[in-house]
Amino acid sequence: MASRPILQVIELKKAFGGLQAISNVSYQMEYGELSAIIGPNGAGKSTFFNLITAYHASDSGKIYFKGEDITGLPPHVISRLGIARAFQVSNIYPTLTTYENVRQAVLSQQKKTLNFFTPANRLAKSATMEILESCGLAEQGKVIAGTLSQGDKKRLELAIALGNQPELLFLDEPTAGMSGEETMETMELVQRLNRERNLTILFTEHDISVVFGFARRVTVLHQGELIADGTPAEVRASEKAQKVYLGEEA
Amino acid sequence: MIKLGVLRTYYGWLALALAASIVLPLVVGVFWVHVLIEILIMGLFATSFNLLFGYMGQLSFGQAAYYGIGAYTTALMITKASIPLPLCMMASVLMAGICALIFGYFCVRLTGIYFAILTMAFGQLVFYIIFQWYGFTGGDNGIQGIPAPPLLQNVYVYYYFTLLLVIAALIVMWFITNSPFGYTMRAIRDNSDRTRFIGINIRKYMLVNFVISGMFAGLSGSLWAPFNRSIAPDLANWAHSGIPVFMAVIGGPLGFFGPLVGSVVYTFLSAFVTGFTEYWPIVIGVIIIFIVLFLPGGILGTLQQKTHPVETNNPNNKKKETR
Repeated sequence: MASRPILQVIELKKAFGGLQAISNVSYQMEYGELSAIIGPNGAGKSTFFNLITAYHASDSGKIYFKGEDITGLPPHVISRLGIARAFQVSNIYPTLTTYENVRQAVLSQQKKTLNFFTPANRLAKSATMEILESCGLAEQGKVIAGTLSQGDKKRLELAIALGNQPELLFLDEPTAGMSGEETMETMELVQRLNRERNLTILFTEHDISVVFGFARRVTVLHQGELIADGTPAEVRASEKAQKVYLGEEA
Repeated sequence: MIKLGVLRTYYGWLALALAASIVLPLVVGVFWVHVLIEILIMGLFATSFNLLFGYMGQLSFGQAAYYGIGAYTTALMITKASIPLPLCMMASVLMAGICALIFGYFCVRLTGIYFAILTMAFGQLVFYIIFQWYGFTGGDNGIQGIPAPPLLQNVYVYYYFTLLLVIAALIVMWFITNSPFGYTMRAIRDNSDRTRFIGINIRKYMLVNFVISGMFAGLSGSLWAPFNRSIAPDLANWAHSGIPVFMAVIGGPLGFFGPLVGSVVYTFLSAFVTGFTEYWPIVIGVIIIFIVLFLPGGILGTLQQKTHPVETNNPNNKKKETR
């Protein structure tokens, strides 16, 4: 018998005004996947993430995480269940240090945020440092996050998401604005997280070579609909996908 | 002689301030001891306000409500039932906390200007209840002849009593602001959206902070009543809510001691300037304009930026960019 999927999305729909951003998308992820969602601008990738993490409420459809219905739960509850996300535009705490940014997520995960009397700088040290190191940010720990370079901000964005020790991680264009080398470093980190911690990861990315280089499964979204889903090779071979998306790249 | 090097450290300044607060009343006249007590009480009030403003990033324009509730609870319990002052103070803190819980429940649903307006609306509600309820609060006559306990009737004793309580309250608030809860407040201030996505129920945390802030405001009001011997509904009015805003802006809302510094400047000037002109509001107006224009971050924020600039973009970034 196949194990229960970590994520199951059934007939999800969302419209903004007259625009059907997500129409009838069903999607499923098994434990340990490293998968990508691709599609042209406005295809609904970010909206798809926003619906699953409850940034927006869906119009209809169901979302199950580890078999549990999470449809309509508020973001903080979903986050506590083990789903984390990194945002496309880095979404950090600009006046806190890099270390404090990550520590905040770790403290939340360790359920210590209602502690009023222990100095925060005595808590969550090792877990925070470990994440900073794995993301290549250890040296920037004391830097005020708002002054980091764009690439480092994106790295921090990922580090904050990891601070929650998630089981399922959504990365919305994790390498946007990074140089080629930074992109490779980040994607290698993503791959390592997937392999070593068995973290299930779904990411979006507009650089097709990155997608086909790292994702083991690729899903193509177009005008709010899933039009192809499979291994990179299968998607490459899919006529529909080529037509709407890959065609313009080839 | 104190070595000047000591003054370069945070703790050096703190020790100096503490020493000054102990010695000053003994060397200045009785009038200035009254001013010092006011500085302490208003400093506590402004620091409580800053838990919302500096740490949570929301401007409360109704903080005087909790100050007024604290002052009236103590005044009514003393004058109507002769209850011992320590019990009155505890009741004041509790009453202010309960009211903050009820009003805060609605206020934390909003942010920015809407938060400010709603806190102000609830503040005015408290003001008008006190103002109109002649049978209980004395209405616009206020309450006169609030006796301090015999032990505290000497102004010097009352000063040290206030100093002790204010220091204790500041220590508690200092711990709160540096705890994981305090950092969660900074996180909500910096980016409330992100904070929801790391698993924090931001409304709940904002409400807890609102109640804590209200309780300390209640304590400051409770200290005021037996000191001033008489109170009036104006203590809860919106103009009185503006004072901690001024103080936090003058001293600097991003440092813990900013509002206290603001209270020293504001209260001292208020006492000093009213000595030879009745146009005190003009003076404070000019000072506020000067600080907002030339010292954003307040007195303390500007000093800190000068002496301990924050670590910003480090060389590592540049290395990566040029690679």
